[in-house]
Amino acid sequence: MIEDADIRLSRRRFLGLMGATAAFAAGCSRPDRGAIVPFNKRPEGVTPGLADFYASTFQEGLTAYGVLVRIREGRPLHLQGNDEHPGFRGKTSPRAIADVLRLYDPDRLRRPIVDGRPSDWARAEARILPALKAARKPVLLLSGALLSPTRRALVEDLRKALPGGLVHAAWEPACGESEAQASRACFGDERRSRLRLDRAEVVVSLETDLLAGERTEEIAGFASKRAPAGPEGPMNRLYAFEGAMSLTGANSDHRTPWKPSRAAALAFALARALHRKGVPLPSGVDAAALAPFDLDALAREQGASASLLHGLVDDLKRAGRAALVAAGPALPPQAHAACHLLNAMLGAEGRTVDAAFAPPGEALAGLQDLRGLLRSAAAGKFAAAVFWQANFGYASADPELWKSAAAGLPLKVRIGLHADETAQACEAALPEHHWLEAWGDFEPASDLLCLQQPAVGPLYDTRQGEEILLGFARALSKDAHALPADYREYLQRRWRREVYPAGSLVPFESFWQASLHDGVLRRRAAPRPPRRLDGRAVNAAAAAALAVPPPPGFELLLSPGAGVYDGRYANNGWLQELPDPVTKLTWGNAAALSPSDAQRLRLQDGDVVRLEAGGRSAEIPVVVQPGQAPGVLSAALGYGRRSGSVASGVGVDLYPLLGAASVSLTPTGAREALPFAQRHHSLEGRDAARSLSLSEYAESRRKGRPERPLARLYPPQRFPARKWAMAVDLSACVGCGACVVACQSENNVPVVGPERVLKGREMHWMRIDRYYAGPPERPRVLLQPMLCQHCDDAPCESVCPVNATNHDSEGLNQMAYNRCVGTRYCSNNCPYKVRRFNFFEYAAQTREPAGLAFNPEVTVRPRGVMEKCTFCVQRIQEAKAAARAAGRPLREGDVEPACAAACPAGAIVFGDLRDPSSRVSKLALSDRGYRVLEELGIRPSVTYLADLTNPAGPEERRGA
Amino acid sequence: MRILLGAIAAGLLLTVLAVGWATQTDRLAQGYAPAQPIPFSHRLHAGSLSIPCLHCHSAADRSRHAGIPAVEVCMECHRVTKTESPAIVQLKALFDSGRPLEWKRVHSLPDHVYFDHRPHVNAGVDCRSCHGPVEDMTVISQAMSLRMNRCLACHRAPRPSLPAESDLQRAPENCHACHR
Repeated sequence: MIEDADIRLSRRRFLGLMGATAAFAAGCSRPDRGAIVPFNKRPEGVTPGLADFYASTFQEGLTAYGVLVRIREGRPLHLQGNDEHPGFRGKTSPRAIADVLRLYDPDRLRRPIVDGRPSDWARAEARILPALKAARKPVLLLSGALLSPTRRALVEDLRKALPGGLVHAAWEPACGESEAQASRACFGDERRSRLRLDRAEVVVSLETDLLAGERTEEIAGFASKRAPAGPEGPMNRLYAFEGAMSLTGANSDHRTPWKPSRAAALAFALARALHRKGVPLPSGVDAAALAPFDLDALAREQGASASLLHGLVDDLKRAGRAALVAAGPALPPQAHAACHLLNAMLGAEGRTVDAAFAPPGEALAGLQDLRGLLRSAAAGKFAAAVFWQANFGYASADPELWKSAAAGLPLKVRIGLHADETAQACEAALPEHHWLEAWGDFEPASDLLCLQQPAVGPLYDTRQGEEILLGFARALSKDAHALPADYREYLQRRWRREVYPAGSLVPFESFWQASLHDGVLRRRAAPRPPRRLDGRAVNAAAAAALAVPPPPGFELLLSPGAGVYDGRYANNGWLQELPDPVTKLTWGNAAALSPSDAQRLRLQDGDVVRLEAGGRSAEIPVVVQPGQAPGVLSAALGYGRRSGSVASGVGVDLYPLLGAASVSLTPTGAREALPFAQRHHSLEGRDAARSLSLSEYAESRRKGRPERPLARLYPPQRFPARKWAMAVDLSACVGCGACVVACQSENNVPVVGPERVLKGREMHWMRIDRYYAGPPERPRVLLQPMLCQHCDDAPCESVCPVNATNHDSEGLNQMAYNRCVGTRYCSNNCPYKVRRFNFFEYAAQTREPAGLAFNPEVTVRPRGVMEKCTFCVQRIQEAKAAARAAGRPLREGDVEPACAAACPAGAIVFGDLRDPSSRVSKLALSDRGYRVLEELGIRPSVTYLADLTNPAGPEERRGA
Repeated sequence: MRILLGAIAAGLLLTVLAVGWATQTDRLAQGYAPAQPIPFSHRLHAGSLSIPCLHCHSAADRSRHAGIPAVEVCMECHRVTKTESPAIVQLKALFDSGRPLEWKRVHSLPDHVYFDHRPHVNAGVDCRSCHGPVEDMTVISQAMSLRMNRCLACHRAPRPSLPAESDLQRAPENCHACHR
């Protein structure tokens, strides 16, 4: 990443520069101070120095996230959730927050490339349009999920305009296929249901990461049931059965390592046990089809506790329609069918599994469909191909097929942000707008439309993808004037025609402006009738689940990377450096395997193994993962990209193994150092991260809190006006990492690269510590966000020789960078390891235009300076100045640090401890509240609320 | 020998002090009055005509930046006023072209200082407390030092700069008030 030589200043050069500076200063008078360039005509509502917020929409796969874009002087700087978006409560996915950096990615295509040479739009059109006009065969359009009614209309218009017709397929490599397949078989359509964790009392997760960072709505719903006022609850109960350790398993009350190949059998066995306890089967489902699935036999086979499984059956029966069973995308369709059966039996279908306002299903192509299309392309069935969004050249993962398809296509056009693997095979690469520069609409639910509007003008000579397709359609259409030239007009016309309520008294222009302002439009839509489960499909799925032979070798679970997703964000340094929430690995992927397998094969973290399946192979380092089911390997997709200055060569490309249920594993003997952000996993008996079951909580409440008098070395601090403090509820926190990314974006936290992470020099001001407790086969996982604790008697302050860090009158531990000389004493004396030393001139390494993403309200720190969390003091100062300008006192809720604003679980609360009515003061007095390492007597300002678990019974708690 | 060493030490000390003095960032700041692209006179506008500061620097009570007026603001009057003057002809041409006017920056603070006009203006601090007698300046210049000692002196005893009715006794002296 960073070449030491670039930034090393030789003594000779230093003296030279010094001499020159002195001569300059003495010689010429009055150094120029630059220019101030005001507007010629100031646009209404724009004031330099004040941030504006615009509502827009971020789409990823089949999810649309309403976001607010913070803009300063025309630059989008920071993203947060749009609180108008229902279900998301003003929060959004960490990847959405980080995507502002992709706007400023220096690797973006800046002009069209035609036949390998930089070109312009006129030449690109001259190259493409005649070929499309002359096409007698269909044109192939491969895109990602559309999710947008206007995009769908556009594809239809393009189809009409093309003389040889159009074959369109939407492919999302990370979305999985089995869910849609099962939905098609069981309900007759592909509608995706919302999982209402806010309504669920008992949740069963089969190999599904319900609490992964991007599942904002599920996290919010889950957290709302996780932080009860007292030990009486109410609190939900989460059972996880999974082969790989996920955040869902880490947050569950009962986690059982379970092979993915047996997940369907488990769900059917639960259904059978429920049926035997008197829960009727839906009509058409044959009890005999379930007969072979026996809970006790399965428990024995998977080494699970039978009493736990029977307890789960009772729990499900008791919860009834407040239960929820969900299967993950890596599981086969029969597992999903079994979950549909369970939800239907319990009455949860239509309640916690809510498809009433599901949008029209979008048929995504599967991997086999995609490969079929590429084979047709290789056979010369298409006149041309347009590749939009998904990176087919990388993720279709069959280099020979891709090459032969490319050879069989006379013209290939890439519409994308980067000159990526797909673009390299294409005659024309057309640069596309980033979504922050583009227009669009999305339909995540039948009663909801989300609008996307540009937050910034195009940075380069790019066009938005839809507009390029619209241009094709216009040029080819006989009636060119029927289609507008720009996509905004196209979008607006469709809205006027189809969305704008007929007979409305509001003029369309006002309706449109109001919708743009809100970013979302809630529409009246009739709820769809409840889905009816097709019993025959369930019977067939049960038969199929029975017929699955135990796979040879290791079962393989591939999932999208927590940061890089399907590989599309691999060029984003923030997301590469965001640690995996469970393994804490940054910059790359590794194959997780169970401690017992590791012992058997004599493998350790970093040992490289060769995975083989169906004639394809990959060499990847392993990570020994506590809690991993024996015989199961899991790893992240989206790494091993072959283009992009940040992405290429980071991690291993596992797409070649996509679709393989099992792999063989051979150690290669090679070793690789893995850049983990956390290297020690045990609390060593200390109670920095506390967790209580509800009964332990009741017990501790009865006993009361032991008051330990703490010695004070210093006179007590006085905070005359207010005292800023934070409370973090570990029970609500799921460890998704949204706070980490939001902090990085807000506070100009540098990316250091894998070499420095290996040296423990990552710079995150906010991190999430993950600890394991108990046996490595069945560990309990504790997650704890860790940031500067702003101690009243801060140990860092007393050792600073230059008083660069000291306390302010409102309880903040402040850091004056300009005073810091970099002794690092403070970091040595900090018991939380939250102070970060800037070893390199990271900011100077920023390639333009990435510098535009810097927040102008926060210093970009130079080398040799200590830095750490400031409680977002820039937001405090902004709120104070705004309150003063409005002539009112500062109120609760005026100040929200970036982490608290981003937390989908609402686990982080910030406020004034001197105000007894503030939320943070109440939480600070909570009977779950404690301060980390408070025995040191340093009086931290952050109160943690102990994690709560709701296990089924005391005996299971340790056992399962 | 001892004299020689002493001389060398004194020489080194002098060099360091001289270099330090010569390179201090705002040594020449006071009195800095660069030629501006349009010979705008604060003496005429703020002095003789008594146009309030906030009329042109209209964001001073709302934003961290006081704001330099858009050319459009000048044209509010100069569409009809002094239209024959060469500077106004130049201004009008610029306005019609749509291009911005590049003024020379006079007041500048280091990058690690986050000064905010809002709290100062809203507390009633007179603009002249930091910018000097602008209404007497034909060519705008930096009248006062903008070093931290002056900030702190006023923050510790703000009364002289505040209107009589203000009840403010102190202003913040925390590092975080200006540095972050």
